[in-house]
Amino acid sequence: MPGILCAIRGGPSSQSTITTSIQLARDIGETIYFLYVVNLDFLSRSTSSKTNHISQEMEEMGEFILLGAQEQATEKNVSSEGVIRDGQVADEIISYCEELDPSYVVLGRPQEEQEDNLLSNERLKAFTDRITDICQASVILSS
Amino acid sequence: MVRRILTFLILTLFVSLLVLLPMEEISAGSESLDQPWIFGSIQDSHGQPVKGVTISLLSESTPNTLTSAITQSDGRFAIQSPEPLPDQITLVFNRPHFRQFKLNLNDNELITVKSGNSLSLSTIIMEREITTAFWIAGFVFILVLALIATGLLQNTLAAFAGASLLLAISYLGKPITESLHIFNFSQAISYIDWNVIFLIMGMMIVIAVVENTGIFHWLAYFAYRISGGRMWVLLSVLMLITGIASAFLDNVTTMLLMTPITVQIALALNISPLVLLIPEVFASNVIGVSTLIGTPTNIMIGSFGEITFNDFLFNLTPGVFLAFVGLVIYSWFTYRKDLSEAKSSSPALLEKLAERGKITNPDNLKKAGWIGGGMLLLFIFGEAIHLPPSVTALIGASALLIWIRPDIEEMIGAVDWTTLVFFMSLFIVVGAIQEVGLISIIASQIGNLIGENLILAMIVVIWLSAFLSMIVANIPFTAAMLPVIAYLSQIVPGAETKVLYYCLSIGAAMGGNGSLIGASANMITAGISERAGYRITYKYFLQKGFPALIITVSLSSLWLFLRF
Repeated sequence: MPGILCAIRGGPSSQSTITTSIQLARDIGETIYFLYVVNLDFLSRSTSSKTNHISQEMEEMGEFILLGAQEQATEKNVSSEGVIRDGQVADEIISYCEELDPSYVVLGRPQEEQEDNLLSNERLKAFTDRITDICQASVILSS
Repeated sequence: MVRRILTFLILTLFVSLLVLLPMEEISAGSESLDQPWIFGSIQDSHGQPVKGVTISLLSESTPNTLTSAITQSDGRFAIQSPEPLPDQITLVFNRPHFRQFKLNLNDNELITVKSGNSLSLSTIIMEREITTAFWIAGFVFILVLALIATGLLQNTLAAFAGASLLLAISYLGKPITESLHIFNFSQAISYIDWNVIFLIMGMMIVIAVVENTGIFHWLAYFAYRISGGRMWVLLSVLMLITGIASAFLDNVTTMLLMTPITVQIALALNISPLVLLIPEVFASNVIGVSTLIGTPTNIMIGSFGEITFNDFLFNLTPGVFLAFVGLVIYSWFTYRKDLSEAKSSSPALLEKLAERGKITNPDNLKKAGWIGGGMLLLFIFGEAIHLPPSVTALIGASALLIWIRPDIEEMIGAVDWTTLVFFMSLFIVVGAIQEVGLISIIASQIGNLIGENLILAMIVVIWLSAFLSMIVANIPFTAAMLPVIAYLSQIVPGAETKVLYYCLSIGAAMGGNGSLIGASANMITAGISERAGYRITYKYFLQKGFPALIITVSLSSLWLFLRF
């Protein structure tokens, strides 16, 4: 059973992604794998090089966000798991895709004002094509 | 393990000694003690001693320098008269970035020396000279500020590149033209305030132990528990915890530790984390000012202005408390609607929160508590024996390491070397503009503007610092302002109480609340919050932060006006 990979980072903008993946899971009866990627690039905005401890803190925050998504899936009688990865968001989605070989990948469509979104509109097409090439999964963009 | 710890400690002490040992040059040679001396001191137009001036003793009868000396850090010099003493003596004073000064000894002075008595000259004032190096140093300083503000280069890289560029121009340019020389390597290094570097390093080691004990999670969960659903209590207690932590740890570390757990509390309550995070970071920037070790800017101000831990406590803490009360009221007023919508979420999330809110290493926490308490006592009472805060921090860090016996490599890794390199590089960059006289000119301009009005001086320093800290990084700004404040403290009647240093402290730190880029803690909070899906935009922060700046700086200023 390949499953559905749903990459989230929490917040209101991830809600539609979670809802879409739960709906899809109910339709096709597969497990959702919620993915949260810990990315510490923001530390470059300060002089701090303390990455060890903050990485752990961010993982715990990610687990909490994933737990919230899993709770929503459980309420709809959908089985789900939470997965945490460290690194660049796009790279980690691809990497986990290769590992999981899911039938669907659900991603959030970037909002216009979030100009620094890693999945910005210009790069989104290339990124989804790459996912399709690598793991043959269908990519669904929620908005 | 013990050997590795000891090796690390010995190495640290050895390096400390090497750096801290006085490196003063001997001003005069080992001439005969029978010959009389000519004493004097040299100051710049601001009355500051000028170190490193070469004094050459010349005479019309010979083309060569008869004898020479160099001024000490207090601007004093002692030059021995030559034997035989010529009929005419000229003293020539030379130093890069100053106009050459010549002094012919008059007849009476010559008679004094000839009769075998030493001669004490009146204070000599040397005037600044603007050279090409002046413009280069100024340009590099502005470039570093711009690179940091725009984020085009990481802060440390920007400062490090700036320092390297200044030294490269000095050494590569000097053979082409003397006017390109800014300073030599030893002069550049002399601008590094090692008290600041070692204080920060010592505190980093202590913080590294504390942050792994789970104390922040416990405190945040404690705030959640005691609030009992009353959101104003939760908001106030979280702000207080963050603030008190910031008074003893640096603000960036505090927010790195508080933000993730605060996000979890907010999610468990079904509210936007920004409702708690923004007031927390405001509190961090405000209460951090209350102690000498609370902010890097206070550490720099304390070291430069010789202001003790107790001075900060007595002269700033009441004002900071006043500002904090105003901040809590403002935060509650700003977010009351969002907070009223809070409701507990699922039991699973609350259970997870409770699971996280535990002390993970009680043994280390207890030890860190004892050492921290001891350090606090040394900070408070150490001034009686002139114990520098950096030594207290090193003693505390060493004692803690010996007591808990951690993996020493892990501890070395916990020291944020990037930050230390940032400070060292920054001191060199700011030293360059000090060396070439740019800061003197700025100080003179501000001095002319203020005149002898203390109230005006306080207002100008507080609000100028606050508004500029919104745009430029407050650490380089503070480093550049310190010599300016020293000058103003000399010329403005009543400012000898060091009140202007406190004004700088308040303005530079609380000004950080005015914009997202105003403080590193703001940027870190925004970074983590964004990773949780809650973006803090520049506009949003400005909307919430600017009124907070006005309120907190006004209330703190009010205290300073009453106190001084």
